[in-house]
Amino acid sequence: MSAGDVTLPGSAAPRTPGRALDQRVFAAYQTELLKLSSQLAVRLLVLVCAIGPLAFSALLKVQSGTPADALFGTYVHASGFAVSLVVMGFAGAWGFPLIAGLVAGDQFASEDRHNTWKTILTRSCSLGELFTGKLLAAATFAVGMLLVAMLCSLLAGLILVGGHGLVDLSGNLQSGGRSLALTLASWALCVLPLLAYVSLAALFSVASRNGIVGVVGPIVIALATTLIDLIGKGVWVHLLLIGSGFGGMYGLFTAHPFLGPLVITSLASLVWIVGCIGAAWLILRRRDFLTGSAVRAPSWHAPLRVVAATTVVVAVLAVAGNLGPIGITSPRLDAAIGSAFNNASLLQQRLIGRIAPPGARLDVQPFCNRRGTRSEGPGDWLCNVYVYLPQLNAVPFQRTNVEYDVSVRYDGCYKAQSPPTFIGGPTMTDNRGRSVVNPLFVVYGCFNTL
Amino acid sequence: MAAVEAVTATGLVKRFEATTAVDGLDLVVGAGQVHGLLGANGAGKTTLLRLLFGLIAPDAGSITLLGRALGGPGSAALDHVAGFVEEPSFYPYLSGATNLALLAKLDGEVPAGLIDEVLERVGLTDRAKSRVGGYSTGMRQRLGIAAALLRTPRLLLLDEPTSGLDPAGARAVAALVRELAGQDVAVLLSSHQIGELEKVCDAYTVIRDGRVVWDGTAAQLVAQAPGSAYALHTSDDDRALQIAAAIPGVRAGRSPRGRLAVSVREGSLDALVLALGDARVAVRRLELLVSPLESMFFALSGDADDEGLEPHDLAERALARAGSDA
Repeated sequence: MSAGDVTLPGSAAPRTPGRALDQRVFAAYQTELLKLSSQLAVRLLVLVCAIGPLAFSALLKVQSGTPADALFGTYVHASGFAVSLVVMGFAGAWGFPLIAGLVAGDQFASEDRHNTWKTILTRSCSLGELFTGKLLAAATFAVGMLLVAMLCSLLAGLILVGGHGLVDLSGNLQSGGRSLALTLASWALCVLPLLAYVSLAALFSVASRNGIVGVVGPIVIALATTLIDLIGKGVWVHLLLIGSGFGGMYGLFTAHPFLGPLVITSLASLVWIVGCIGAAWLILRRRDFLTGSAVRAPSWHAPLRVVAATTVVVAVLAVAGNLGPIGITSPRLDAAIGSAFNNASLLQQRLIGRIAPPGARLDVQPFCNRRGTRSEGPGDWLCNVYVYLPQLNAVPFQRTNVEYDVSVRYDGCYKAQSPPTFIGGPTMTDNRGRSVVNPLFVVYGCFNTL
Repeated sequence: MAAVEAVTATGLVKRFEATTAVDGLDLVVGAGQVHGLLGANGAGKTTLLRLLFGLIAPDAGSITLLGRALGGPGSAALDHVAGFVEEPSFYPYLSGATNLALLAKLDGEVPAGLIDEVLERVGLTDRAKSRVGGYSTGMRQRLGIAAALLRTPRLLLLDEPTSGLDPAGARAVAALVRELAGQDVAVLLSSHQIGELEKVCDAYTVIRDGRVVWDGTAAQLVAQAPGSAYALHTSDDDRALQIAAAIPGVRAGRSPRGRLAVSVREGSLDALVLALGDARVAVRRLELLVSPLESMFFALSGDADDEGLEPHDLAERALARAGSDA
């Protein structure tokens, strides 16, 4: 260390005092961006967001199977937009909570782990400015990764499968342009619930002061909400859960779009964002920034408190799952299946070269019952679709029964699959001799649960 | 216009559950003053520095830094205040230079080349691009000083700044502190290295159990200190013992290994050396064992073993330790 000629560093160029608040927040934001971009886990995640959709599409390309359980899954060989939407569906279940955990779950806890709160809090930024900068940086990275995943999944789908139109959730074939618009809108609508998870991860990070709890917490919550979605028949808790926003956009994919669930889940996401950030700030501003031997409680106290509180909240939500009106009912499912079956049948007829004018209707009577229990709520249903087909001979109409196994989600979206005896196999040959997806083999649909 | 005090803390109280770490503490550090903060482990020095940095909130009392009342963490009152509490901490996955760049960003505009300048100043230019995770304790300490220098400080709060440094590094820090003080930078130094403090401090505060037990200038301390103690090696130790016993304010004895330990009150050392010369006893070596500051420190704030010991006792203990080390 030199002790020679001493000139106070920087004394030749004193700083301008009194930076504006936005400048200080921006400085905190920039430093957090730098820190996040330097972390290996975050870099790897960006890489996964970029390469994952490409790898997924390439894998689908070289095999005949399809992820049929996911909405639009049977169409991944038919439309590039289906590829992007399937990727989005998986991301909503696991990917986005993971992204939120990695970008925000360790942001505050790492300052405790590295003992650096005292380093940054003794500079020229307040705790509030640092808090804001951290949240903005985490949000920037999370939304950036969503954009990367969206662009890469779209590119992969369009390059490897093509920009053909998508069969929507009412069984109608949409144009390529409309499919693109709906796909882009769906990804955009994931931003709010993603930010809700980011806020939750930040809350875990602040409250637990433990990076593992912060990173894993959102994923555990995603798993818990998936389980809660399987139980309980009431509408309210399911619509208000933190991840519900990832399903709100499917109402846009129906012949008669419904916005109620989308609006409510988006508002719920906003409430989660405000609530989590508010709680995180209250905890952060009340704490002392002790370190090392001065820390009073053992390091596992705070994480344990967070885990206990989270368990209680999840348990309460699970118990409250029956609150509110029942969204999944037999009449609603009957109406949705009947309409989707009608539209898919007409689409099938067009594919094999028969004329089916727009708006044509078959005489269809669906009867849906939930397996093993009362006919309401999400789960496995059995739907008998009775189709009255015109006959040329003595009996004017022949009643034919098509049996569908229907898996209904909490948000009113379902997948109906039938044995191939009546409707044929998963693929069929169109009038040009090409192998195409049989729209009746698996029917996807959504109905309004409100 | 009167100069604004660098630090004014009044009636500070900080409790941690049942423990009162700081108990009604008052502290004033003048502008451009190098002020030593002394106390045994657990006396409350680090808690006081945390309070001064706003990292923890006092239960009572007030703090003014450079004339501005301190709020919470990151308060505007911390502008032009720099330093560190406990060991300096950085992001281990970033390089030293990147860590400084990040901190400079939080501070606002950074003059071009300032980061390179402070890195060179603390001798870390060669390792500037290396990750801090690979730094030694001493290197992190130097990086902490570099980070403090980035802020154009008018007040430096340093907690054990020479900890982990080799003797040359510690000397350089001492020199740096003095030179900064020459530029009207006030420095509050907390250290166990009493010898290091003695070289640089203008004033001292000794705390014990969270309370100030002594506060004053270096001159006042020397005047009020119980004394100092030396190891004395002469051409005739027996004769030297007899001479020392006759001089007021001087106490001499032999260590278990036979070396002479002499404790003296302020001004008595000269009388002893002159008397030895008059008696034709040659002083071959006179080694400071316990300085006035150390004797004051041990008298006021020592741990249970040292509390109330006279300089002579401390000198004998130091001699005994030196003997066992040898």
